[in-house]
Amino acid sequence: MKKDQMARTMDVFKTFLKFGCFTFGGGWSIVAQIQKEYVEKKRWITDEELLDFTSVGRSMPGLMIGNASVLFGYHVAGVPGAMAALLGIVIPPVAIMLGVVFLYDLAKDNLYVARAMMGVRAAVVPIIFSALLKLFKSGMKDAACYAIALGALVLCLFVKLNNVLIVLLGAAAGLMIQEVRHRRDLS
Amino acid sequence: MIYLELFISFLMIGFTSFGGMSMIPLINDQMLSHGWMTSQEVADIVAIAEMTPGPLGLNCATFAGARTAGILGALSATLGVIFPSLTVTLLAAAFLEKFKENKLMDEALYGIRPVCIGMIFAVMIQQSMTNYAGTLLGFLSWPALLIGAVSLVVLLKFKWSVPKTILLAAGLGLLLGGF
Repeated sequence: MKKDQMARTMDVFKTFLKFGCFTFGGGWSIVAQIQKEYVEKKRWITDEELLDFTSVGRSMPGLMIGNASVLFGYHVAGVPGAMAALLGIVIPPVAIMLGVVFLYDLAKDNLYVARAMMGVRAAVVPIIFSALLKLFKSGMKDAACYAIALGALVLCLFVKLNNVLIVLLGAAAGLMIQEVRHRRDLS
Repeated sequence: MIYLELFISFLMIGFTSFGGMSMIPLINDQMLSHGWMTSQEVADIVAIAEMTPGPLGLNCATFAGARTAGILGALSATLGVIFPSLTVTLLAAAFLEKFKENKLMDEALYGIRPVCIGMIFAVMIQQSMTNYAGTLLGFLSWPALLIGAVSLVVLLKFKWSVPKTILLAAGLGLLLGGF
């Protein structure tokens, strides 16, 4: 393993351990955390790449955040990076959950735990929104993109279509639109 | 062997589901058919999984594994549920890197990125519907709305990190939760 790759793998592991402690709301806040840390601060990836990891991760079987972590880790440091990201994101929730199992009845009905969690849940949507704002510009190149995004939103909310299908439909739409444009430019 | 059974059960859950709430019916099936849990306990896990960090599927795996067969059970179940990420997604990652410069891949990604934006919007709407539900005007919780607004301001205006924002929100929840 090259020295640079080793350093990156360690960085990813430590950072993802921290991310893992704060992945509330189905894990979507990880997108905001990667955006802040690796797009804005360290500049290892671009907004476009983060969008790719998220949508491809969502369309793979299993845990979306596990998949997004593997895609990100592989991109920045190969297989060791992918393992480091996945382990980092998984260890904190597993450790916390093991603690909770032993305090099951205590934590379940505790008034103060419930109140703090109400607050945490209230912060989840703004956290996702803050990431979305930054990703918006790089994902939405033109009017056709808005139509695709709106279509995906409607399918997700009202049709309960499988995510894989939605992502594949998006890929098909992208191929068709770009192909039509190429031909128009040629003629 | 109970560990192998847990691993295989959650491996199947991992491979046949695509994250989030879509895992609940599958987990319910597996837990009840093996007699590992009652349906009341499954409902409890969903509530607890919401209170701790990490995705639902992972939390359910750890919880179910630990209740059924202790720490080793928890590890077996967890390994099962993350197995798709270790295999299928790792292959996809290699594929994605290899064909990144490909013109067709580029065209497909042009369509996939807006899909991702649309999906994130959908998640926000779904989360809003549960996180801000309460008593104000019969359907809104004003402490939750207030905490949401404060979180938005510290994130966007003061550039706070996600962990710092979550800790502030938990503190505000403790203060305002009684109202």
